[in-house]
Amino acid sequence: MIGISVALEGDARQAAAAKLAEEHALVRSAQAGDRLAFEELVRRYDREVLRLALNLVHRSEDARDIYQEGFLRVYRNLHRFRFECSFYTWLYRIVTNVALDHLRRRTSRREDQAPVPEEADGGTRDFFDRQPEHRASANPEKRLLGQELGQHISAALKRLSPRERMVFEMKHYQGLKLRAIGDLLGTSEETVKNSLFRATRKLRSCLDGMR
Amino acid sequence: MQQEMNRENPCEPCAEFEAMLALLAADELNPAEQAEVADHLAHCDRCTETLERERELLALIAERRIEPDAALLSSCRAGLEDALDREEERGTLRGLIARVLPGGWIAPRPAWGAALLLLLGFSVGMLAPRLLHQPVVAGNSNISTRESAPDDAPADTSRSPIDIRTAQVAGINVMPARDNQPPQVELQVRSRQPFKVQGTVNNEDVKSLLINVLRNNDRFDPDVRLDAVDLLRARNNDSDVRSALCHAVHTDSNAAVRLKALEALNGAEPQDLIRQTLLDALVDDKNPGVRVEAINALRGMAAKGQVVPDDHMLAVLHERMRKDPSTYIRIQSAAAIRDLGPREKF
Repeated sequence: MIGISVALEGDARQAAAAKLAEEHALVRSAQAGDRLAFEELVRRYDREVLRLALNLVHRSEDARDIYQEGFLRVYRNLHRFRFECSFYTWLYRIVTNVALDHLRRRTSRREDQAPVPEEADGGTRDFFDRQPEHRASANPEKRLLGQELGQHISAALKRLSPRERMVFEMKHYQGLKLRAIGDLLGTSEETVKNSLFRATRKLRSCLDGMR
Repeated sequence: MQQEMNRENPCEPCAEFEAMLALLAADELNPAEQAEVADHLAHCDRCTETLERERELLALIAERRIEPDAALLSSCRAGLEDALDREEERGTLRGLIARVLPGGWIAPRPAWGAALLLLLGFSVGMLAPRLLHQPVVAGNSNISTRESAPDDAPADTSRSPIDIRTAQVAGINVMPARDNQPPQVELQVRSRQPFKVQGTVNNEDVKSLLINVLRNNDRFDPDVRLDAVDLLRARNNDSDVRSALCHAVHTDSNAAVRLKALEALNGAEPQDLIRQTLLDALVDDKNPGVRVEAINALRGMAAKGQVVPDDHMLAVLHERMRKDPSTYIRIQSAAAIRDLGPREKF
């Protein structure tokens, strides 16, 4: 029994090593100017990048901007990748920086502008609010409550700072460990812990009224 | 201060455990810390309630999670490809300028440099469109666009057939058909120097590119594969096309593409390959819609006397009649056996 599990672990290690070697070969081809190799790398990770962007900014137009700017920066800086970490980690670092810049710009723009009523029509509602409420579709009262809850969650998430938002998203939506988030954001695990704690506290205080 | 505040508000958790509760809900405590919190929770209702609220909150937020849909992902990919094209063009221009005017010359003369760049940009803007729209000359290997070619001529005589057979199609634009003519197609082909191929599906290069999409279906978006099937349908009596459509029915991961490929085989010269493809789809395809299309197509061919039943075919139909989860397919299989099977002698 132990022999079988050791053999399986060995197979898994070999498969992971083969996958890594294949990815490094792709990166080297892309660094040498092979556009198809770069596009293959994009396709491996772009769904996760788009998911991260969409859940951070809640607007498909903004998510598209982050996706494009992120991958363009990866393309322009590909020659700087030295294989010291996985390509995925390196790519994610770049994309999270782009997303943080985007969130910061949006926060400062919002502060500069006059407040817009949350309920107003004309594009002020975000992607969350436009999502159909599946769970309670048969019951208009529940649907209304669901929509109201969606708006509260959106409003609560908007109160987080860009870094808190990023940490919260990476932890609870992307399922990353705090140490990995620290690596990606270029900061310590302790700082990430504090950001997550602050984010959770803010969200709790915003949403307690809904209970 | 925090403790004082918490004492005033009975709903607040104990200050020294508040951060640990958030980390416990996030599954980020080590075993020793987990044990410490568990001991505390055993006799602290406020912290227990806070932990429950914490988990409830995360569950609520998780329910509102957005998954990017295929259309958004597809449009992001298309946008990125355009941006990369522009990036490559800029890179080529920068390289050209660097070769013509070394940095050492421009750096001390910024005004001259700016004026030269303006002049160069103006010249490229004026000349490039004319150069790019010049007719293709055989033997010229640096072509980036291609006007429509007659159907009996290759779309671009300068590329080797190997380029066409292995080229990656990034997108397909179909122009509306006129007067019962096949529609004009524009295929955007990825390569180090992206180019376009235009023509109808009767053009051999266009056909080869579309077949390549179906043969290497794991490398292309479902939208591109669906367009390729749609266009190749008009040539379903061509043996290469027929073979590519059968390949799509057998191997494409997308049920809509498999279904469309089966439809596209409808009306093709009846051959063993098609009959076998329909039977394979009927037996192996996990999607009931594809199996329905397969049994309907088999019945249609039987009604026209285009299939000769053999033991294998009847065995498949009997097996489907007994085992298929879809009632419709079981009924249709029985009807096909009735149509095709040996008649009772009176």
